[in-house]
Amino acid sequence: MNSSDAVREGLIPLLPRLRRLARALAGQVADADDLVQIVLERALARAAQWRPDAALDKWVFAIARNAWRDELRARGRAQHLFAPEEAGELAADGTGAQPAQQLELAMALAALPPDHREVVALVLVEGMSYGEAAELLEVPVGTVTSRLARARATLQAHLGKDA
Amino acid sequence: MNPIDDDTLQAYVDGELDAADAARIEAALAHDDVLARRVERARAVRAQLRAAFDPVLDEPVPARLSALLQPRSAPAATPAAPHATPAGGHRATRRRTTHRRWFVPGAALAASVALLAVTFWWWRPGGELVRMQGGQSFAAGALTHALDESLASEPKANAPVAIGLSFRSTDGRICRTFVLRRAPARAGLACRSDAGWELPVLSAVATPEGSELRQAASGMPPAVQAAVDARLRGNVFDARQERAARDAGWR
Repeated sequence: MNSSDAVREGLIPLLPRLRRLARALAGQVADADDLVQIVLERALARAAQWRPDAALDKWVFAIARNAWRDELRARGRAQHLFAPEEAGELAADGTGAQPAQQLELAMALAALPPDHREVVALVLVEGMSYGEAAELLEVPVGTVTSRLARARATLQAHLGKDA
Repeated sequence: MNPIDDDTLQAYVDGELDAADAARIEAALAHDDVLARRVERARAVRAQLRAAFDPVLDEPVPARLSALLQPRSAPAATPAAPHATPAGGHRATRRRTTHRRWFVPGAALAASVALLAVTFWWWRPGGELVRMQGGQSFAAGALTHALDESLASEPKANAPVAIGLSFRSTDGRICRTFVLRRAPARAGLACRSDAGWELPVLSAVATPEGSELRQAASGMPPAVQAAVDARLRGNVFDARQERAARDAGWR
């Protein structure tokens, strides 16, 4: 199996997590899946750069974060990263009522500055350690800690409002 | 004992402390209610985020995404799902049948999406005004009605929703600001998409005790103002343009 096949095969089970990360970063469903598409295309194009001893998830999550940053830059401060897609493409899981808190939290996340949002997405949503997030973001661990603390304080304020 | 700073507390909540430091926090937690509440609040953020985003893991992956991971030499056999548009038409011809569980035939996929598209309703006294769909919020009920029908140039004093500005966004869609007058008062921005009025921002409004908001345009929360600024190109609609936009179905 060449590296391109290995990456392609390896990405298939990662798709749900990649979509969750993209949703936390990009916010909108259609934007998030457009981001995933860009990430998959980049990952396949750069498959030769992936070393089999490196974790594929972290490699592709780094591509996702960089692609998201590229889109943010390209679009200035516009909140919609990508052109709106056809509707109804995706759906929630319908497992039950969604508390108002959760809705407000998701909106508060979308309003965070990119530096804070990506740390929240990587650590609190994806579940990376501070060290792993620091490595991916190429910043010191202390920077991850302080960004996360500030982001958390902002999000906590939203949780507290209606609690 | 040293006071426990926020960074340390957060590291504890996120499982980043070594055993000795974690034990120190746990010992302190046992007899410090304030500290226990701080831990609880930090945990709640994490738990709520997981509750908000983990359902994505169980959603069907759109065919256009999984199709990208199919071997390129394979022949086409699976019909394209109607809602799953490949970015390039050529990709559809390279799709193949597969036993993988997220590759379901178009009709079945469409049906499951319809089922899964059951939306979350936001229950509030006064009716459900916001629904969640796939992590995205949309206007519902009376809010949809107001956004569809109400004109800022013809305000209704007792309507639960007051419309503020209407304008065409930089992405070509029509957006309108609104205020939900009933407590808890909220202001937001709605932008018209094919799926309905999408709500990129919804924010609490500080209101004097016991009073209702009369003016939609006054006292817009900064988050809503920022969302408008980010999208506004040119002028907001005047009364004639607003009416014309309504007559054209907000396209």
